[in-house]
Amino acid sequence: MKKIRKEEIMERKIRAKWSLATWGILLAVVGVLNFGCVTMAPKKPSVLTPTDRGTVVFLDKYEFKRPPEGWLLMQNLEGGDFELGFMKFEKGDFPSQTTFMYDDKPYGGSRDLEVRAKYYCTRFLFNSGIDSRVTKQEKLTINGQDTIAFSMDGENPNRKEKAKSKIYLVKKGNRIISFVCTQWRPLNGAFSQEPFDHFEAFVSSFKFLKKDFYEEIEEKIKELKG
Amino acid sequence: MDAHNRDLYLYERLNARVLGVSMDDVITSKYFAQSLELEFPLISNVLPWMGKAYGAYSEKPPFLPDGTQNWFGRRTVVIDKRGIVRYIKDGSPDNKEILMFLLKLEKEVQGK
Repeated sequence: MKKIRKEEIMERKIRAKWSLATWGILLAVVGVLNFGCVTMAPKKPSVLTPTDRGTVVFLDKYEFKRPPEGWLLMQNLEGGDFELGFMKFEKGDFPSQTTFMYDDKPYGGSRDLEVRAKYYCTRFLFNSGIDSRVTKQEKLTINGQDTIAFSMDGENPNRKEKAKSKIYLVKKGNRIISFVCTQWRPLNGAFSQEPFDHFEAFVSSFKFLKKDFYEEIEEKIKELKG
Repeated sequence: MDAHNRDLYLYERLNARVLGVSMDDVITSKYFAQSLELEFPLISNVLPWMGKAYGAYSEKPPFLPDGTQNWFGRRTVVIDKRGIVRYIKDGSPDNKEILMFLLKLEKEVQGK
């Protein structure tokens, strides 16, 4: 009987060792699989890729000089009012902040720059209640494209805030695109030039790396019509 | 509306025309069209037979953020040359999708 018990105990010990070893192997396999999953998952492409020219590339679509650290990237994920932009919360009481953006669908429908600019001014910041007026307007070219640049500022005494803006409406093929910078301040706050300098660098360095949707569809229509 | 206005030149090349339909009266619609400088016609459909025909009319009015009643939901309908409804989408129009759809229809018409 004693002999039998001894054998049983040994057998149990061996079984226990084997089951421990099996669990160990299983855990190792799971670990390898998990590790494999991590390495096999597609890497999320970086939204902004730096170049050796001191600029960044945005999703292989645009290249531009980005503002320094502290400016947050704004990206439109669902197709709305703008394509991409940056914003910065600044020192001072609310609403001390500046935003600037590239918008490929500025207000209005006219493809004539002057007509579009006139209409644009009637809609810009309308919902904020800011009584904006044009303080300066000029015609120029940006990267060889006809442009109207205008500065606007205004106040909303009820909300005790004011805004100062710089807008570029640029002819791009058959359409008009825009670059817009708006600085917000409380009524007693002072505007600062530095954010506008970053905006100017953004605009003057902005390059289109790909044909946009509208250029592509125009080509398709041309092909279709012969 | 702005977006349709911007894309009118492409709609024309794709042999499509835009028509806006609203339950507002003629004077209101006229003022609305002028304020947005719309270059396509608006139909004032006070008796909402068009809204009913195209499924944009709701028996129970949804309310706009300002509290006013709105019986017409936003609906985009594309009708082909034979009068057949080919595309329906509720909510804000997706102009890129509409343009791609019109391109597909034009290819159909041209047999390509």
